[in-house]
Amino acid sequence: MPAEEFHPASATPRTLLLGPQRFKQTATAALRSLDTDGPVAVINSGWEEREDEVSELDTALDGRAHHLRLYHRMLDVLEKDRRFAASALAFRDRHERLLSIYRLRLQYALDGAYAVQRRLLADGDDTAYGALDDAIEVVRHVDDWYLARLGALYDDGDLVERAATSGVIGWHRGEIEAALAAAAAVVLPGGNVGTLLRTLRLFSIDPAPGLPVIAWSAGAMALTEEVVLFHDHGPQGASETELFDRGLARVSGVVALPHARTRLRLEDKPRSAILARRFGDRHCLLLDEGVILDVTADGGLPGGSRVLGVDGAIHELRRA
Amino acid sequence: MMTSRLAINRLRDHEPLDAGQIDRFVGRFGSPIIEGERATFLYRGEADAVAVRHRVVGLPDPLVMRRLPDTDLWAATTVLPEGSRVEYQIETRRGEHYERFNDPLNPRAAHSPVGSSSVCAATGYAVPEWVHHDPNARPGQLLEESMRSKALRRDQPYWLYLPARYSTAQRYPLLVVHDGGDYLQYAAMKTVLDNLIHRLDVAPLVAVFLPPRDRLREYPNHAPHARFVSRELVPALTERLPLITSAEGRCLMGSSFGGIAALSTAVRYPGFYGSLLLQSASLVFTDIGTEHGGGPAFDPVVKFVNRYRAKPTRVVDRIFMSCGTYEPLITPNRSMVPVFREAGITVRYVEARDGHNWEDWRDRLRDGLSWIYPGPQKFVYE
Repeated sequence: MPAEEFHPASATPRTLLLGPQRFKQTATAALRSLDTDGPVAVINSGWEEREDEVSELDTALDGRAHHLRLYHRMLDVLEKDRRFAASALAFRDRHERLLSIYRLRLQYALDGAYAVQRRLLADGDDTAYGALDDAIEVVRHVDDWYLARLGALYDDGDLVERAATSGVIGWHRGEIEAALAAAAAVVLPGGNVGTLLRTLRLFSIDPAPGLPVIAWSAGAMALTEEVVLFHDHGPQGASETELFDRGLARVSGVVALPHARTRLRLEDKPRSAILARRFGDRHCLLLDEGVILDVTADGGLPGGSRVLGVDGAIHELRRA
Repeated sequence: MMTSRLAINRLRDHEPLDAGQIDRFVGRFGSPIIEGERATFLYRGEADAVAVRHRVVGLPDPLVMRRLPDTDLWAATTVLPEGSRVEYQIETRRGEHYERFNDPLNPRAAHSPVGSSSVCAATGYAVPEWVHHDPNARPGQLLEESMRSKALRRDQPYWLYLPARYSTAQRYPLLVVHDGGDYLQYAAMKTVLDNLIHRLDVAPLVAVFLPPRDRLREYPNHAPHARFVSRELVPALTERLPLITSAEGRCLMGSSFGGIAALSTAVRYPGFYGSLLLQSASLVFTDIGTEHGGGPAFDPVVKFVNRYRAKPTRVVDRIFMSCGTYEPLITPNRSMVPVFREAGITVRYVEARDGHNWEDWRDRLRDGLSWIYPGPQKFVYE
């Protein structure tokens, strides 16, 4: 809906998901709709080395921004705590290795699903023998395997322990906690979602349920249970949509797809159908420009949200 | 279907032509004149014979130009499919004296270690924008270094490329570039890397640009070269730089004989490298006998490729191959794709309507590098 017409669903909105802000800015209207006073904690670590280039963002947030500077804090940690830095690097090596094997398995699993789908569509019956369902189940199995192995990586390494005992991390966490405690809301803009998640995890950030959150693009992805990466228009053409990591799970049952219209080949309905069916227990949520969604109290999507259907077409969720 | 007549034929309608008419024609069109899928080359001057010289497989070389009656204007028209890019020179004969030079009517030239050539770009060809300096792209560093090589028994100089925002807190993949000086000079590779990394097309990477000393000896399957790269250079760089330590993070790259250097090094050290980026590699082989037509310089190449073809092995996980459709190496390159695939290697093969030259290799860098080391586009949602 247009930003100027936006009215929150309840008096105390908790989580607002926005479309990308570059060309259609809705953050100001969203923030004002919260009807809060005081500083707004901003987590824009996804901007990486541009984290401090915030003049436009400050204007959009009515001059209330309190920047947590998580990216620069992370660099400070890596500089001052060499043991943690070594553990973090070792973890990234293991994660990269796992991702590499996951991508290999995923490609073959998805190629299988696409091949079965092409054959069944040519035959005029894409439900025959339950073959496509089964092929997609193979893809889900690979996704589940990856998430399980990633969880084991987090459990097995010494990263958590090193973070817990690091003086410099503890100092930063203390500052961040104080800033969040004083904040009237939290804002998570876009950027590199991998970096954003790493900083959130490093500083153990999980905004309290009562603290309103506004997020867009990578920020919106970070609020979901599982962060899914996608890009159909890279230099090598369409690449496969892949899981990356668990998110903050503040929004449930959602795969967030910012810039869906420009990043996904939505006109390829069979391909979109497999995407939607692969994440069948969740809504594949299209977060294009101008969108403002007021997430329900239980973390679900409001009516009117645009999602990918299992038929590969775009649908709007029914309003209550 | 109606097709408009070529400009040169319209000029002929006005015969006999005076110098002023030809001046105006040449001033208006220059050379070559691209009209649809036709290219007309022009030359103006006194000579006994004039020809376009090129190395495009499939077109006659020399491409003889014909003089317009009673004028000093010479012309030849040839087919030139959309997207083509051809390098050529003009050759004149006066008596027994031959002279070859770049087209005086064409300001576009390409450069290489053996000199420059004129460039004929067909409809649909454009120099990729990421080839040019982008003021928004943060530049990486290019460091001139040298190391003592026991294998080569000499000091081996090289250029080390560190990407913008290089940090020891990151891990970087490594790209070893044969003919490194030429890639930097003639394929603008520093600028290309800066731009492609900035655009998130290619992962931030460390590259080492190796210049050869005795190229024809060291590049076609030369044990000391392979030992230098695999047992001296890469380990030394891995020791001092934050590089990915698995094979997946190591790629050898080269064009022409440099492609053979890359492949033969990988064959000598199977599993040490994860990928190869081969551009117009000199993959010449014979199916029977020893006549390969490449001259003595190709003897060790043919011996190596024949041996590999007899027993293909999976020396790397992935190979990106590119080749120009107008160069003689197109057939060997096409022939090697199934051989590599049969060995279990994942191959991405790309062709372009271009020849065996540095601008063709430059123009394919985005395809190759973004496939070998994809950038973080998938992670960035602004």
